[in-house]
Amino acid sequence: MTARDAFLNSAAEIDHGLAAGRPVHSNAHLDWLEDEAISILREVFGSFERPAILCSCGKDSLVVLHLAMKAAAPGKLPVPIVHIDTGHNFPEVIAFREHLVQKHGFNLIVGHLDDSIAKGTIRLAHPLESRNPYQTITLLETIEANRFDAMVGGARRDEEKARAKERVFSHRDSFGQWQPRAQRPELWNLYNTRIAQGEHFRVFPISNWTELDVWNYIARENIELPSIYYTHQREVIERNGLLVPVTDITPPRTGETVVTRDVRFRTVGDISCTCPVASTAATADEVILETITATASERGATRMDDRANDAAMERRKKEGYF
Amino acid sequence: MNTPSSSHDIHNRPLRFITCGSVDDGKSTLIGRLLYDSKALMVDQLDALGRARGAQSRNGQVDLSLVTDGLEAEREQGITIDVAYRYFATPKRKFIIADAPGHEQYTRNMVTGASKSDVAVVLIDVTKLDFTQERVALLPQTKRHTALAGLLRLQHIVVAVNKMDAIGFDATKFERVVRAFGELTASLEIVSFTAIPLSALEGDGVVAHTERTAWFQGPALLPHLESLALVEGHAGSHAHIAVQWVTRDNNDDHVRWVTGDVAEAAIAVGDEIRVFPSGASAVVAAIRTGRGTVQQALPGEAVAVRFDRQVDVARGDWIVAGSAAETSAPRQRAQATLAWLDTAPLTVGRRYVVRHGSRWLPARVTAISSRLDLQAGEWRDVGTTDAEDDWAAEPALAPTVNANDLVRAEVEFAQPLPLAAFAESTTLGSFVLVDPGTNATAAAGMIAA
Repeated sequence: MTARDAFLNSAAEIDHGLAAGRPVHSNAHLDWLEDEAISILREVFGSFERPAILCSCGKDSLVVLHLAMKAAAPGKLPVPIVHIDTGHNFPEVIAFREHLVQKHGFNLIVGHLDDSIAKGTIRLAHPLESRNPYQTITLLETIEANRFDAMVGGARRDEEKARAKERVFSHRDSFGQWQPRAQRPELWNLYNTRIAQGEHFRVFPISNWTELDVWNYIARENIELPSIYYTHQREVIERNGLLVPVTDITPPRTGETVVTRDVRFRTVGDISCTCPVASTAATADEVILETITATASERGATRMDDRANDAAMERRKKEGYF
Repeated sequence: MNTPSSSHDIHNRPLRFITCGSVDDGKSTLIGRLLYDSKALMVDQLDALGRARGAQSRNGQVDLSLVTDGLEAEREQGITIDVAYRYFATPKRKFIIADAPGHEQYTRNMVTGASKSDVAVVLIDVTKLDFTQERVALLPQTKRHTALAGLLRLQHIVVAVNKMDAIGFDATKFERVVRAFGELTASLEIVSFTAIPLSALEGDGVVAHTERTAWFQGPALLPHLESLALVEGHAGSHAHIAVQWVTRDNNDDHVRWVTGDVAEAAIAVGDEIRVFPSGASAVVAAIRTGRGTVQQALPGEAVAVRFDRQVDVARGDWIVAGSAAETSAPRQRAQATLAWLDTAPLTVGRRYVVRHGSRWLPARVTAISSRLDLQAGEWRDVGTTDAEDDWAAEPALAPTVNANDLVRAEVEFAQPLPLAAFAESTTLGSFVLVDPGTNATAAAGMIAA
């Protein structure tokens, strides 16, 4: 048997499992990932004066929020949640945010990009420009205004290669910058959380999770997500191999044809740069089956901004992006 | 004892391994192949490789080694700066690879990656070895990697004897490499290892063996990694919890729950515990994990624990199961191995801050006794000049300890701590030393005795 044959055999094993409708990867490791994340969150609760959880209402931040509630149980979530609102949101996502706050009684702090524009700290080149890169400015302003010393986020190392090198406790200087060449070594579980005045940490409890782990966990724990994560009909344009949603902010260009498709979103970001994928998956389990057979990575299939440049994420992170 | 959290089996934990070697050894190609063959690489990531500057294809195929070059700065300089983490899963197991760069800041990166790994995969490039002598001499970097893996007490060492295709899959040469490695591990007190002949470039021995490696009786790399057994905690020890945070019950009269990770041994409802350092004792009344309320929690589980009485507990304290007579007394001084990581050298006698468990406290290094010669894989005494009879001599200068140096030192903590030898307990035997001026992580410490 050649190595290639062996690989094809294991691929056939996966296909066989899919056809039989049974999970092809064991999910027993989810308990370990859950424990690791809970432990990291308790480090945050115990080590910092003014920590907060960043919540875009995307699936990764909702998983982190779920884990944070478990980390605090049987007590209440001891920290506020922060949403950076670009003003270009999918309405379903804002509705979901309000629902969540009502249901759990979270302390919600919203940083509005429009406030930064009004103050003049953000100047758009043109009104319909993608607001995604500007989130960094509003985020840093929100951190400064609230004197946060740790911001918990849902970034995962498998998303992108600059993230693959980021620490779980990622130190930011007083300008919010990430310095990839000067990262603190992270040893055992002995996180070095010491900071100077004005600095802060970004903390990523689900660093070691993959997209599939996240979906398996959402299915196992019945975690509620905004409806756009599941199949729905939407007007889109096919552009450069992406399905671009038709909205006020992203209208069709001359000569483009608007079509209605069964789609779902794999990530939730600013309207101007987030694309859905064709899908009829209506439940987390159906998304898992699609994810197992997917051929494009999550950011690659859905983000216009990451495609621009192979090092785009690294550059944005250095400036203070999540 | 049965527990409701039966899926929290050590064998379900993702297997974490560090790859030791340089790009020239085919390390990146090997990782690329594991990711590619396990379908962890997606179309757009392969596409991005094609777009990456300096990317070259081999025979029209994607150069798998480029998969692991993360940062733009690294591609430009053709080096890797930092540990990168990669993920893949087979139907049997999830894997986390700590990919430590081979050249720059080697010790710093390998110590970082290895501290969270179960297994070291040491790559040996057979094309760099001299087979004309009777004894095959391993490269200094192989000795370095193996010494560090031994020092950090990784549970398994796998030797990937790579580029076998370049030497015609010669079984005799493979055996000679294995013999040389066996002599090295014996001198480093490493008890066992598994050697596997393979070609990362062509795929032999990675997912499965081929006709060309049919002479080899052992497993291929991936099935071997899938089958490795892991242990957590150790026999004869008592449960320890470094207290992370105390939460108050939302309903039940705001009763206090103490949170932290279980280490060393299982903890169960009804266990008698003591609080370190106060010495207060109590009995475990209830345990919660992410899965709900349990009767018993195993090492590695993150728990919240309630006691049968009010006890004064805060972050930094330890919860220790068993009576005082059963555990060793706390100590304020210890011999420790320091892996120096900071660019600023060690200052003997200076006040640093140390983190042990969840406790931060001042500490200083009072003396340095020996230094690990990584090339030779041996400890050598340092710092003692023969000046005792020479009253006029300057006091002996402490030896300089720079980034990437490994030394054996005497450490004095500001308070007594429940220490154990690192060989016995990674939890009680490890600490980090931080520069109080810059907050830089200065050293990884492992208690020797």
